[in-house]
Amino acid sequence: MIRVESVTKEYRSGRGYVKALNEVSLNIEEGTITAITGKSGSGKTTLLNCIGGLESPEQGSVTCFGSNLSALSRKALCLFQRRHVGFVFQHGNLLSYLTVFENIAFPLALNGIEGKKKAKRIEALLHRIGLSKAGAALPHELSGGEIQRVSVARAMAHWPKMLLADEPTASLDSDTGRSLIRFMFEMGREQGCTIVFSTHDLEIIELADNRIYIRDGSLEG
Amino acid sequence: MRFWIKTASLFLFRSGRSTAVLSFMILTAVASLIFLSSLSVGVNDAMIRNSVSLYSGHISGFALPASLGRESLIREGVANVLKRNSIPGILSYQDRLETVMMIGVQPSEEKKSTAIPEKTIRGRYLQNGEREIFLSKLMAENLNISVGDTLRFNPRTGAVPVRLTVSGVYRTGIDQLDRGIAFYPISVIPVKVDTWSAAVFLKEGAEAESVINNYRHELPESYQFKSWREMMPDLRQLIDLENISMGIVMILVFGVVSLGIACAFVIFILKNLREYGVMKAMGVTPWELTLLIVTEVILMNLVASFIGSIIGILAVFIVDRVGGIDLTTFTSHNPYFVVSGVIIPRLNVYSLCTPPVVAFLCGLVSSIWPAVLVARKKAAEVLRIV
Repeated sequence: MIRVESVTKEYRSGRGYVKALNEVSLNIEEGTITAITGKSGSGKTTLLNCIGGLESPEQGSVTCFGSNLSALSRKALCLFQRRHVGFVFQHGNLLSYLTVFENIAFPLALNGIEGKKKAKRIEALLHRIGLSKAGAALPHELSGGEIQRVSVARAMAHWPKMLLADEPTASLDSDTGRSLIRFMFEMGREQGCTIVFSTHDLEIIELADNRIYIRDGSLEG
Repeated sequence: MRFWIKTASLFLFRSGRSTAVLSFMILTAVASLIFLSSLSVGVNDAMIRNSVSLYSGHISGFALPASLGRESLIREGVANVLKRNSIPGILSYQDRLETVMMIGVQPSEEKKSTAIPEKTIRGRYLQNGEREIFLSKLMAENLNISVGDTLRFNPRTGAVPVRLTVSGVYRTGIDQLDRGIAFYPISVIPVKVDTWSAAVFLKEGAEAESVINNYRHELPESYQFKSWREMMPDLRQLIDLENISMGIVMILVFGVVSLGIACAFVIFILKNLREYGVMKAMGVTPWELTLLIVTEVILMNLVASFIGSIIGILAVFIVDRVGGIDLTTFTSHNPYFVVSGVIIPRLNVYSLCTPPVVAFLCGLVSSIWPAVLVARKKAAEVLRIV
């Protein structure tokens, strides 16, 4: 269970303080798929970041699988993210100097998964994303869709409990985007992973188990 | 740790051009400083070689009894021992007189080790067993005497005067040798001399102090030995000054290079900041990120220093093979380069190890700034702003 309780998050910008999240509360059941939608600047990314522990709220708390993220030390939070969280970013954000194989291996190595188990897992994921022969390719040699598929494979490689995806289809055409989402959902369901993602695409939203609408930092509906 | 070393290596290897540019700075600095340090050692060597080989040797022995043979002073590391004695007296030619310290030498041995014979400007050097005198240009002018003329030497001891023919005239440019002394073959003046002095010349790499310690250990305490360091404090200070100057140059060069590396690395890291943000989002701790960046800098430093060292050593080797750098034009009036102005760079532990060690330490320090910069940034902040 992911519990977000009265979370408020402010940013300081050139226009003064901006309230990105205002007293947001929600519960997400384990193993479900949740879509967050809203206009640009509504607070989707901030909410995802707070759930993943990338940002700490000024007020309120986020509890993921029994761990209150605000109460964790810096190191404990890093270890929590390393073990239980997978992130997919808008533009993939693969590590540019690592090959596809090494990018997927990165979270596995961080979690101490080495040797045959690691190689087997990467081979399986590469096969799954249709890039079995592209393991040695560097990110700049891949198309946008391929980058996002590798990004999902990397985020799911270490069997995380939670996958957070920030507009993963934003840089893709609609067909490629939908295919990526289907792949992400399949992987999530197979691994029993809780998926929370943000998107503007109404068709994709319909595919999720739960939908959250956010406007000016507050939940709607 | 292996994982971070591998990741850092991949980062450096696949960021080829940036790595090459950064490495080039370190490599150039290490190579130049190895060469410069070796040149500095070579300058010191040349000054010592010039100063000791002209006359005095690396070690001077005084008040040695006539019963002690020169062979007794030959030890490991000793190339030659020259036996000399001194007789004070007066030289006279026609109506002119000059007080003099006559130095009795073994001409054939002197020719092997000293450079005085090379300083002959007229005539020739002495020959064993000939009743000859070899005097300075100044003394020849004062006596108004030329090569081939015969003068008279009156020992102060009251012994019988001796007639000597001028074999040659020399000029060293060093006051102590150009004024008040003259040389003759040791056997030709029948004056009983109780003591003799020794000029000990050492082989390359032998230390004067250790040979003196050996003498002191094995010979009676009354025998006096002094190294060139004690005999020529001005030269010793000059060498110390040279070493200090070299140290300062090294620190300055690497200070500038380190700052350059740190700045270049900060730009390099800012360019890749998003990737470090992604790593943080994946659960990489600030400590691990610092370790990664420091490892990147260390690896780059090690490789660049290794290549720089090889280039530096090669440069020293090549200059050595071509016979050194001839700076006679700039040293001809310098008393520390009276014999030769050729500088041969020489590698020693100091010149070989200091530049890469300093490069490594400076690189390590220069990596702290970018490492702290990245470690302190929050992942969300990085991902939002980049």
